[in-house]
Parts: sequence; structure tokens; C-alpha cells
Amino acid sequence: MQLKVKEELFDEPTCEHNIQKKEKKACKTAVPGSSTGGCALDGAYIVLSPIRDALHVVHGPINCLGNSYNQRTSESKGNETFYMYGMTSSINENDLIFGSEDKLKKGIVYAVNKFNPKGVFIYNTCVPALTGEDIGGVARELTEKLNIPVVPVQSQGFSGGKNLGNKIAGDALFEYVIGKKEPNIDILTDYNINLIGEYNIKGELFLIKKALSDNGINLLSNITGNATMEEIMYSHKAGLNVVVCSKALVYLARKMEEKYGIPFIEESFFGLSSTNNAMLHIAESFKDAKLIEKVKKNIESKTKIIRKEIEPYKKFLTGKRVLLYTGGVKSWSLISALNDLGMKVIATGVKKSTEEDKNRIKEFDANGNIIMLDNGNPVNLIKMIKDEQADILLAGGRNQYTAIKSLIPFLDVNQERSNSYTSYEGIVHLGRQIYLELNSPVYDVIRKAN
Amino acid sequence: MENIKNIEINPLKTSSSLGAVIVFLGIKNAVVLMHGSQGCASFDKVTLTKHYRENIPVYTTALNELGAILGGSSYLKAGVKNIADKINPAFIGITSTGLSEVNGEDIHATFNELKKELKESGDYDNLSLAYVSTPDYDGNFEEGYKNAILSLLQTFCIDDRENLAGAYNNETIDKNNIRNISDYKNNDKNKDNGAKDKDIKNIRANVFCPFSFTAMDFLELRDLLEDFGITPVMIPDLGTSMDGHLDENGYLQTTSGGTDIEDLKKAGLNNLNIIIGSSLKSLIAPVKKITGLNTYYFSNVSGLKNTDLFFKFLEEISLRKTPERYKRQKRQLMDAYLDTHFYFLGKNIAIAEGIDILDSFSEVLSEVGANIKIGVTTSKAYENLKNRFEILTEGDIDLFGELIENDGNGIDLVISNSNAGYTAEKIGVPILKAGFPLIDRIGHNFKHYILYKGSANLVYEAANLLMSVNEKLMEEV
Repeated sequence: MQLKVKEELFDEPTCEHNIQKKEKKACKTAVPGSSTGGCALDGAYIVLSPIRDALHVVHGPINCLGNSYNQRTSESKGNETFYMYGMTSSINENDLIFGSEDKLKKGIVYAVNKFNPKGVFIYNTCVPALTGEDIGGVARELTEKLNIPVVPVQSQGFSGGKNLGNKIAGDALFEYVIGKKEPNIDILTDYNINLIGEYNIKGELFLIKKALSDNGINLLSNITGNATMEEIMYSHKAGLNVVVCSKALVYLARKMEEKYGIPFIEESFFGLSSTNNAMLHIAESFKDAKLIEKVKKNIESKTKIIRKEIEPYKKFLTGKRVLLYTGGVKSWSLISALNDLGMKVIATGVKKSTEEDKNRIKEFDANGNIIMLDNGNPVNLIKMIKDEQADILLAGGRNQYTAIKSLIPFLDVNQERSNSYTSYEGIVHLGRQIYLELNSPVYDVIRKAN
Repeated sequence: MENIKNIEINPLKTSSSLGAVIVFLGIKNAVVLMHGSQGCASFDKVTLTKHYRENIPVYTTALNELGAILGGSSYLKAGVKNIADKINPAFIGITSTGLSEVNGEDIHATFNELKKELKESGDYDNLSLAYVSTPDYDGNFEEGYKNAILSLLQTFCIDDRENLAGAYNNETIDKNNIRNISDYKNNDKNKDNGAKDKDIKNIRANVFCPFSFTAMDFLELRDLLEDFGITPVMIPDLGTSMDGHLDENGYLQTTSGGTDIEDLKKAGLNNLNIIIGSSLKSLIAPVKKITGLNTYYFSNVSGLKNTDLFFKFLEEISLRKTPERYKRQKRQLMDAYLDTHFYFLGKNIAIAEGIDILDSFSEVLSEVGANIKIGVTTSKAYENLKNRFEILTEGDIDLFGELIENDGNGIDLVISNSNAGYTAEKIGVPILKAGFPLIDRIGHNFKHYILYKGSANLVYEAANLLMSVNEKLMEEV
């Protein structure tokens, strides 16, 4: 029976929650009657499903996938694109009685024959995990039979939340995919990096990639937005891992450091200063004076150009007050981006932030008065916005209706955002979108009619 | 036949728990609590939020591995109490999930225990609860929807009928005056037994509509019934709850409209039941039994023929003439059929939808002369529609795509939900997006597809899509 998730996944030395609380399950916080986010399956699927030439098969009842596939906005380019496909064994009552491993195998064979993918991910869910189905065995058997990697992902939802699911996905990549192939020599340069935790929401990866290549840095593998199986298989050849916006995947970076000796840094590409810093840190990691000089030069000229482009927005936005309610890394990385635009962050959500995230918030908090908001229930958010006279709420889609029903301007900065906000171009988009939203006449029109 | 594929690729069907959640969202001042892992609720909540573009009050009991193995009753009880204390809704609708059902725990017993505990504590007198069993590995969306309606009736109507007897005495009409038939269409001969009492006032009807109705469909149907002097108690009422309106109080943590629990309690004191939708056909017997009322069933109220029949029914029930505006809408639909039929000549339609849209849309489009070629749906309950389609089968969107591609260039228009968008685009056929989920469209709840006006809307929308393809072809030559 595959009930237990690896204990190791709960024990993250780089997570200060773990260290402080001395209890390994620090990240499991959902209580009965709450409306908090997704489960481990959700978290694992988010991380792995952007791998576009693999099939993603959810082994479970229809609810685990049937209502929710084809909703991500991570962009994939290329001919083999299966990421908008949703596949499930859709187990029924009969399968519970007679077992569904055989059904799962047949289903995967059918799909592989039809689509000819480069790999398969099988996601375990609560019901088959409880009845003791062995998806690890199914995966082993099919790997041999089909001659492509078939990867079991032990993502049953009762094990924990999204964050744990992210880690489980990282673990699956580490165990079954990374290091299984060598890259062609001609795609390697002097400066090869991987990005970890970049999902190419609205094409953001393409913007980061452009900035990297302008500096002569080669993005060897992206884990996992727009990725192919092959590029993840040879990602162990990179000289540096850059973990972006996913604290949970630090686990993967750490494992890669242990096994392949690849150092890692954590960076954000939200905002002008963050992007500049990230570029510089990457260059410094390679300890190459020539590269560092080139990057510094580029940063100087880029900064001039972008400052000019955001100037008209900045004029209007300076002094405007923002309530930021988003997860983990964005709880500080967006503060930097908003500071670039002259805006004042009055509070930021820290419910999903690590201690390190909180320290970074303090770094960006020049006057030391940003409120760290632990309780993001809608009523609390609205009260905070009114009490602190915030001009706009920046949060995820979940809170969109909280804000607009209360006639508070809103911008989605989470995975459903409709613009790309990373890298140099991204900060201009962000400034423009906030500017436009704050200038929308709709709130006044409704207020007067209300 | 068994699905030999053994895998759902781009599923069309959704789970029974989701069907139940939607029914509970049609209750006033309600929240929904899903008894399962946090993901069960989260997936549904996210999809419903994207579909409706509204806050969706769905919560979870957050069952973890301990609860899954050792029993989750304490999670359920804590969940209900936490919600009641924090949000104070009038109603909490509880569904089970695959996880909470798989170990065979008696959730219904826990539910009854909980009700007793709440009653004894005396702190929750204004809170009503209902529970429906919806294991995700059993049944589909339609069954969950149906079972949740029955659970509401069983919980409120049966429990309270005795207490309420007499409450409506002065308003009750002579029920014997209304014909006792279950399928109005098939029993059209006993006309003479129709209501004769000219003094009938304030008829109250329990109305059961399928999820395929948009919020606007619900609201238009309500207006129509009221125009005939019939006060509808819609169960559920997805018109006033999910139409997307800015509530006077701004943001709410519960639903802001829907069926009033007090009206549900009095459902057995109303005058008749009206059930619409193929998927709800099996509700006829239990609803009739629970309410003790005459029950009338219509498989759909779309197209000229069926809408005519529905109006005839309303005239007989209410003893009123059809108001002028609806007569005009009928004439408008006739004109719409004439104007648009050119675009449907020789055109082939493929539909992948739940049984209700499959039925109602194909009814309208076959009346206007389109060839209804391929149908893929979520259950086997389609026998009565077989004559209307060349191919009709249960399946997923992957199969739907295969059937269209095997057909060569034969299909001119696809009707399905957002998940079929990629398939239609790949094949190069225009798609009319309807049903659930619709996450890449906005305002679909303002679409109106039933009765005279809605049928006209449908043929115009479909004809425009067909017309745009014709125009494109001309450019290429």
C-alpha cells in the first residue's frame, strides 16, 4: 500500500518552518471547514503537466481530473503539445472491487500508441492509494514495455497540500527523469543554467530567456514550462540551478547539488531591480570576470531604457497604496517590482511564505511598516483595504470577486494572470496594467448608481 | 458496451459530487461543504469560479491520511461547526467524495448524529443542513444533481410536512382539479379533466430544471410562469443565485440568491410539480411521492413544437390565455427559422454535451433543417434520441474528435464546452461553446437558449458561425 509519502519530503533543511517548529509536517495547515487551496495532486500536476511531450494520466475517480483539466495558462510551443490534454483512468465501483492496475496499464498503452509521447507521468490519487494499488509497479512494467520513461507520482491528496505536491513532483523528476540522457555537445556553452519552478505563464519564460541570451547565458533546461522530456533528462549538465518562484522546488535543487554538484541560487524575475539582481547573481556564480562585466554593462543600458518606458506610469502610480496578497516568493519579489513603479505596499500576505521569504520582505521594507498578513480570509482582506486606504488589491483569481464585489480595483498576479510580468518587458506590462485598472471609470460609475 | 479504451482522454463527463455542489449553490444564503481531501473541493471551486466568474462558497473538511484510514466523522462535524461559527449561513449542503466513501464509513449516520448535536446545543437554530452521498467513482454529474435535489426534498419536505399542515389552508386550491399525468406529451387525451375552477388564484408550482439551463433560462422561465399567474418554487434556483449580480451588500461569503429553505419546507403544500429535462426524468416518481403532488414532465422546452406544447400546458393549468408578448415571440421564432434555414441546408452538426443540451439543441437545429450527425454524451440514457442522430454514443472529447475526423470534411459546426475548443480548432471546424465548463467565454449565463426567444437565439448564433465559414471560403478562392 502506498499510503505514506517519503518522510524526507517533509524534512526540508532549507525551510526554516521545519527547523523552527521541529515538527516535520509544518506545511500541512488545512483545517475542516476551510476553503484553502489544492491538494498534493494539484501541486504535482502544476509542476509536471507543462512538460509538453509527455502524457499526464491521473489514476483516480473522475473528480480528480474531470472538472479541472485544460485550465492552465502556461504556454507551450512546438509540435508535440499534449499539455492541454487531460487523461484519467476514471476508476469506478467495479475497479474498486477488482482492482484497476490492469485497466490503468491498458489505458496508458492505448494512449501511448495513439499519441506517441516521449514519456508518461502517472499521478496517484486518494482512492487507489487507500485501496493499495501499486502504480510504481505499473510504471516499472510499462517503462520496459513501451521503452519511454513512465514515472509514478505519489500525489494522493490526503498526504497534504499543493506545496507538498510540488515537492513530490520534484522528487519524481529527480528519481526518474533527470540524468537519464546526455545532451549533444553543440547545445552546451560556457554558461549553462537551468531554471527551476518557471512555468511559462503567459509566455513569461520567453521573456526571461531573451534577457538571459542577451547576456550570453544559455538556458539549458527549464523545469518545467514549455519543457520537453529530453531537456529535463539532460539538465544535470548545467553549471547552475536558478530556483524561481517556487520555494517547494528548492528540494529538487538541493538534491541535484548533492548528486551532480550543481550549485543553486534563488532568484526572482519580477521587477527591474530583481531582474537586474538575478542576472548579476547568475553571472557572479560562474566567477567569470568577462561575463560579470558584460552583464553589468547590459544592466546599465537596460535599466536606462526600462526606466524611460515606465516613466509615464510611474508618475501616476507614485505614492499609490497596494495590498499584496499572494503566495511564497511573490510576497517579496513583487514588492520590489512595485517599488520600481513608485508604489507603496502597505501589506503583504505571508500565509504561504517561509521565514526566509519574510526576511526578504523586511529587506525591501525601507520604512519598516509593511504589515505581514497571515489571515487572508476575504472579510479580513476587505477590512484591511478599507482601514489602510489601499488603492488596489494585487492577488490571485480566488480573491478577484472579493475585491470587485466590494468595488475595489484588482489585478490578478497569480497563475491566471492575463499578462506576463517577469523580466524587463514584464515590469512595463505590470505598470501599464495597474495604471489602466486604477483609471478605469467603472468603479465610479457603479458607486454613483449604487 | 464496455469502454474498451480504458482511459478517458479529455473527459466530457464530470463527477457526481460536482452535480450536487451545483444544486446546493442554488439555495439561498448557502455554503457547500465537501467531505474529502482539500483537493476535492479546490478543483470544483476553481472550475466553478472560472465558469461563473463569481465567488463560489465551497469549503472542505480537509480529510488527511489519518482521517481517511481511521474515520472522518470528527472532520465532518468540525467542518460544519467551523463554517457555522465563522460564516453563519442559513444552509450548509454537504457532499461526500471518493475519499470519504471508500472505506465504507456511514457518513449518513454521522450526519444524523451531527444534526442531533447541533439541535441539543441550541446555538444553531437558524442553520439547516442537507447531506447527499456522491462517491466520485460511482455515477456522473447528472446523478449527483438529481440525488442532491432528492436529498433536499427528503430533508425538508418530508421532515416538515406534518408540522406545516394547515399553514397554507387559506391559500390551498383544489388539487383534484389538476390532471394527474406524469408525461404531458404522452397523455394528451384527457383534456376534459382539465382545471375548471375559474377562481384558481395563486397557483404555486415546484419547478425542477436541469443544469443545462443558463441563469437567464431560469429567470426567463420564472417570468413566464409568473405571467401565467403561477408562483414558481425553483429547486434549485440557479437563476437568482448564479446570474452574476452585484449584491446590495457587496461581497458575500454565501450564495446571494436561490431557493429559500422555507419554501422548500412548504413544497408539499404547493399545487403541482413541473420537471423539465431528459436528465431529470427519473425524478418523476420520487418527487411525486415525496410531495404528493401531480407531476408534469417535459423532456425539453426548446423549439417550436415543444414550446407550443408547454404553452398549451400552462394555459390549461392556469386557465389563462398566453400573453401577447409570448405570441409575438412565437412569430419571431417562426421568422428566425425561415431566415436562417438557408444556412443550415445540407449542413452537418456534431454535438458533445450532457444529455440535456444534446436533446434541446438537436431539437431546435433539426427543426430548422440541419443534419444532426454526431452526438457524444456522458451517459447511456440517450435511447429516445437515437433517431435524431446518425451516430450517438457515450464517450470523451477524444472520441468525439476521432468521429469528426473519420467523417472527412463532413462536419460544419461543432457544439461543445471549452474543453473541446482545441479539438475543434485542430480539425478546423467552428465551435459553438455551450454547457459546462465554459472557462474561455464570458457572459454565457446571459445567453438564453430555451422557449421561443431562446430557440431563436440559438439558430441565429449557429447560423452566424456557419455564415462566417462560408465567407472565409469565398476569400480563399
